[in-house]
Amino acid sequence: MSAKSSIASPAFSRRGFLGFAAAAASAPLLAACGGGSASQGGGGGASGTVKFWDMPWATPAYNDAAKGIAEGFSGASGSKATYQTIQWNNFYQTFSSAIASKTGPAVSTGGGFQAFQFEQQGQIAYADKAIEKLKASGQFNDFLPGVLDPFKSDKGYVAVPWQLDMRVFWYRKSLFEKANVALPTDWPSLLEAGKALKKVGAFGFTTGAGAGNNYANHSMIMMMVNNGGGVFNKDGELDLLNDRNVEAMEFVLELVSNGIVDPAAVSYTTDNMSAQWKDGKAGFGLFQVNVPERVGDTSGDLLVADPLTGPHGDKATIVFPNNIMMYTNTPSQDASEEFLVYYLGQLKQLWQKKLMSALPVFKSITELPEFAGDPNNVKIVKDWQPIAKTFASQGNSLNANLAALDGGQALNQFSQTIITGKSDAKTALQAFQSGLESVLKK
Amino acid sequence: MSAVLHAHPESGPALGVDAGKPRKVLSEAGQRGRWWRFTAILAITAIVLVPIVVTVLLAFTPGPNSTATGLTFENISNVFSKTLAATWLKNSLITTLATVIISVAVAAPAGYVLSRGRSKAVSGYSLLLFVMQSLPIITSVVPLFILFAGMGLVDNLMGLTIIYVGSTMTVATWMMAAYFDSIPISLEEASWIDGCSVFGSFTKVVLRNSLPGILSTAIFSFLLAWNDYLVAIVFLRSNEIFTLPMGVQSFFQQNATDWTSVMALAVIMMLPPVIVFATLNKYFSVGGIGGSLAGR
Amino acid sequence: MALTTTQSGLSRARRGVAPGGPGTAPVKRRSKLSAQTSRTFFWLLLPSVVLLVLIHGYPLIHAAVQATHDGNLLQTGNFVGGENFSTVLTSPAFWKAAQFTLWFTIVGVFGSWLVGLGLALLLRTKIPAGGTFKVLLLLPWVVPIVVSSTAWNWLVATPDSLIPSLFRNLGLGTPLFLADPTLASITVMVFKVWVSFPFMMMMISAALASVDSTVYEAASMDGATRWQQFSQITLPLIARSTYISWILMTIFCVNDFPTIYLLTGGGPVSATTSLVVLAYRTVFQDFATGPGVAIAFLMTMTLVVISVILYRQIRKSSVE
Repeated sequence: MSAKSSIASPAFSRRGFLGFAAAAASAPLLAACGGGSASQGGGGGASGTVKFWDMPWATPAYNDAAKGIAEGFSGASGSKATYQTIQWNNFYQTFSSAIASKTGPAVSTGGGFQAFQFEQQGQIAYADKAIEKLKASGQFNDFLPGVLDPFKSDKGYVAVPWQLDMRVFWYRKSLFEKANVALPTDWPSLLEAGKALKKVGAFGFTTGAGAGNNYANHSMIMMMVNNGGGVFNKDGELDLLNDRNVEAMEFVLELVSNGIVDPAAVSYTTDNMSAQWKDGKAGFGLFQVNVPERVGDTSGDLLVADPLTGPHGDKATIVFPNNIMMYTNTPSQDASEEFLVYYLGQLKQLWQKKLMSALPVFKSITELPEFAGDPNNVKIVKDWQPIAKTFASQGNSLNANLAALDGGQALNQFSQTIITGKSDAKTALQAFQSGLESVLKK
Repeated sequence: MSAVLHAHPESGPALGVDAGKPRKVLSEAGQRGRWWRFTAILAITAIVLVPIVVTVLLAFTPGPNSTATGLTFENISNVFSKTLAATWLKNSLITTLATVIISVAVAAPAGYVLSRGRSKAVSGYSLLLFVMQSLPIITSVVPLFILFAGMGLVDNLMGLTIIYVGSTMTVATWMMAAYFDSIPISLEEASWIDGCSVFGSFTKVVLRNSLPGILSTAIFSFLLAWNDYLVAIVFLRSNEIFTLPMGVQSFFQQNATDWTSVMALAVIMMLPPVIVFATLNKYFSVGGIGGSLAGR
Repeated sequence: MALTTTQSGLSRARRGVAPGGPGTAPVKRRSKLSAQTSRTFFWLLLPSVVLLVLIHGYPLIHAAVQATHDGNLLQTGNFVGGENFSTVLTSPAFWKAAQFTLWFTIVGVFGSWLVGLGLALLLRTKIPAGGTFKVLLLLPWVVPIVVSSTAWNWLVATPDSLIPSLFRNLGLGTPLFLADPTLASITVMVFKVWVSFPFMMMMISAALASVDSTVYEAASMDGATRWQQFSQITLPLIARSTYISWILMTIFCVNDFPTIYLLTGGGPVSATTSLVVLAYRTVFQDFATGPGVAIAFLMTMTLVVISVILYRQIRKSSVE
C-alpha cells in the first residue's frame, strides 16, 4: 500500500518505474481487500465535496437541469457537490472499476438493482439516517404508497427511490376504430382485439427482444405477474414453474401462434419498436411512460389503456423503482445524507420542466399542473401505479439477484424463445429456471 | 551493381515506381476491358457503400425539430455549436496522433531486435507478444482501470494513450519486424564498418529506409485508437475529455437516441481516416502493410 | 556474389552475432562485441517489454486469478480451482457459442480474403479513377461500428426495411434477416465480411504492388493462361502476407465484440452468440465473473494454438 501512495504522490518521476511494478504486483491484493489508504480520496476531496453520478435518464437537457440542481447544493458545514454523467453503455464496468479503485461517487443513481449488488459487496451506506431526516422535514409523507418498502433490507434502507419506470399498456385509438373492436379488458378480449388488429395490418402485442431491448423480457414477467405469478415465490425462492406462470406463457404463445406478435419482434431494437408505434403498425402493447413524446407522435392518437384482468381476477403490472444510493466511500457521510435529502427536495423541477419519462415518487409532483396536464399521466398514476409490482414478485423486497435476472442471459433467451413460439411454455420455463439457478447466488 | 538494390526492390529509395502499370499502349480490346472493369468496380462500390450512404444522407437530412428542407449542413453545424464536438475532435486527434507516434517509437526498436537478433530469448519474446494480445480487451479493462486509477491516469488522455499504445504495440512490433526483415543487412554492415554503433546504424540507416513499413504500422495504430470506445467508455468521465467515439455514445440516452447527431458526428469521424488514406495511398502501392510483411 | 553476402549477413545476425565480427568469429572477439549488441538490444526492447507486462501481462494474471475464484469484479472470493472451467466446459451454451465462433471466424477470414483478393486484383489493373475507388472501398473499415451496425439494422431489421422490401418485390417472400436464427447468423457474417474486406484488400494490394509486372509479361510470352499466371505466380508471391493477414483476421474475428453485439445482441435465442459475447454477457449481465473470465481464457488458449500453427506456416514460407 505504501507503494501505491508513493505513486499517487507528486514524486512520481524518480521512483516511477519501481513504483509502477510494485503497484502492478500489489493491485490485485488491493482489489481483493478493498483498497485501504487510497490517497485518491474516494467520493471527492477532503473539503467535503460530494461526488454525484447520474445517468442519461432523458435528453441532454435533463442532465443539464440535474447538474444545475446538484451544483446548487450547499451543506451546513460548507460542503458542495459535483455532477457527472455516466454513459449507459457498460455502466456496470464503469461503476465497478471506479468503486474498486476508490475513485467512485459518494452518491449516485444507476441501474435499477445496482444498489443491492454493491450492498452485497459492502460498498453501500444505508439510508436510514437520511430517511429520518425526511421524516423530520415531513417530506417522508409525500412518498406515494409502497414505493419505499422494496428498499428496506434487514440492515436498513439500501437506497431511496426517486422515479418510477412503469410498464403500462398503450394503444392507438384510430387502429381500434379501424378494426372496429373494443379495447381489451381481460385476456380473452386481448386475443380478440389482436385478431381484429391483425386484419388491419397491426399488431396487438407489440414488443421487441433485439440488441439492447428489454421490453419483451418485461412483457413476459408482466404477464406472469398479471396472472398472480412471478419469478419468485413469496419467500423469494425461484418458482418459475408455478401454474399461473405456465398459464400466462401459454396465453402469450397463443398470441404468437395467431400472429398477434410480430414475427420479426425477436430482433427489434427499441428504435425499431418506437418506429412501429409511430408508423401505425403497433395497435396495443407494453411500453413506458410518455410514449407519444418518445416516438414523436403527439397527435393524441396514442393513449394509455386500462389494466387487464387476468383469468383469476388478478390485476398487476411491473415497475422499476429507480433509486439514489450512497456509498461508504465518501468524504463525509453527513454530507452525503444532506445532499440526498436536498436533491430529493429539488426533484420537482425536473417534472416542472417536463424532462422526465417516468413517474415521480412524490404525490406533490403528480399534482403539478405540468404533470397532471397530461391525461395519460393521470391515468397511470390513478390506475396503474397502485397495482405495480417489482421484478421480485411474488416476493416484496428487492435484492442483488434481480440484476442478474433483469439484464441476464436466462430471461433474454426465455423471452426470445416464447415470442418466436419455438417451444411450449413448460419447457421454456424449465430452461429459464435452470438457467437462473446456475447464476443466482443463494 | 550490388545486390542491395536488386534483392529487395520494395525497400530503399525506389519509392515512386508503380510496378503495376502496364507499359504498352493499350489495344482496343484492352480499352474495352478497361471500361468493363470500370463498370464492375463501380457497381461493386455502389452496393458496398449503401449502408454508408444511408449514414451520410441522414447526417445531412434535417432533424425532427428542424425547419430546413432538402439536404442541409445544419446537423453538422449543430453538433459543433451545441455539443463539445470540436473538443472531442481535438481530443481524438491528440490521443490518436500520440498513440501513433509512441507505438511506432516503441515498436520500431523492438521490431528491429526481433528481426536481427534471433537468440532463443528473442524468438520466445516474439511469440509471447503474439500470445499476450489475444486476451479480449473486455476482460482487461477493469483491472487496468484499477491499476491506472492508483497512478492518477484515469479520466485523462495520457492514460488512454498508454492503453492504446499497449494494445497496438504487439501487432505493430510484428509489422515493423517483418518490414526490417526485408531490409538487407549489408546496409548496416557498411555502416558498421564506417564506425557506426548498433544503435546508430539502426536510426541512421535502417529507419531511414523504412518509410512504407512505418506508415503501414502507423495506419494500423491510427485506426485502432481512432475507433475505440470499449476502453474509453470506462476510462473517460468528463465531457471535456471525451474522444469522438465517446461523443457518439453520449447521444444514446435512456429512452431515445439522437440519431441525427450520431450520424453527423459519424461523418466527422470518417473524414480524418479518409484524408489519411487518400494522402498515403501512393505509399501503399509500394510496400505497405502486405508488401512489407510479404518480405518476411 | 553480393547476394550470398547478404544472406550470410542475415543469418549471422539471426544467430545474434555482433556487427563487425566475421561470420565465423573466434569466440574471444565475439563475446565482447556481442555484449555491446546485447546491451543495445536490451534497451531497444525495454519499452515494449514494460508495456507488454503492464497492458497485457498484468490483466492476464488478474484474469487467471478471477477464473480460478468465485468472486465478483470487486472481490476476488475463494479459490475454487478448475470449477469455473468445468462449469463452462459442461455447459451446452459454451459449445454452441464455440461452434458459432468457428463458423463466424472461417467465413470472416476467408470471405473477407476472397472479396479483398478479387477487388485487389481488379484494382491492380488500369481503371479510370482507380485510386478513388480504393479509398471509397476502405470506408466500411473506417466507419465506427456503432454507426454501421445501425445502418445495417435499418436496411434489414423489419419486414418494411429496404432489403426485405426488395426481396418481396422480386417475389422472393419477406425474409426476416435478424429474426430467423439461420438468416441472422448469415447476416452477421456478411456484416463482418463487409467490415473486414477493406483490410484484406489493402494487405493484398500492397503485396501485389511489390510484384514486378515483367514476371507476368514473361509468363504470358511463355503461353501461360490467366489461371496459371494467377495460381503459379500471384498466389505464391502473396502467400506470406496472406498467412499474416489470416492470422490477424482470425484474432480480429474471434475477439470481435461490437460487430455481433450491436447488430443482434447474440440473438435470436443465442443463434449468433460468439464466445466473446458469451463471456461479456456472463461477466457483465449474469454477474458470474469466474465462469465468464474462464470462457475468455479458453478462447485465448484456442487462439494461441491457431496462431502458433499459422505462425509456423509463415516461418516455413519464408524459408522457401
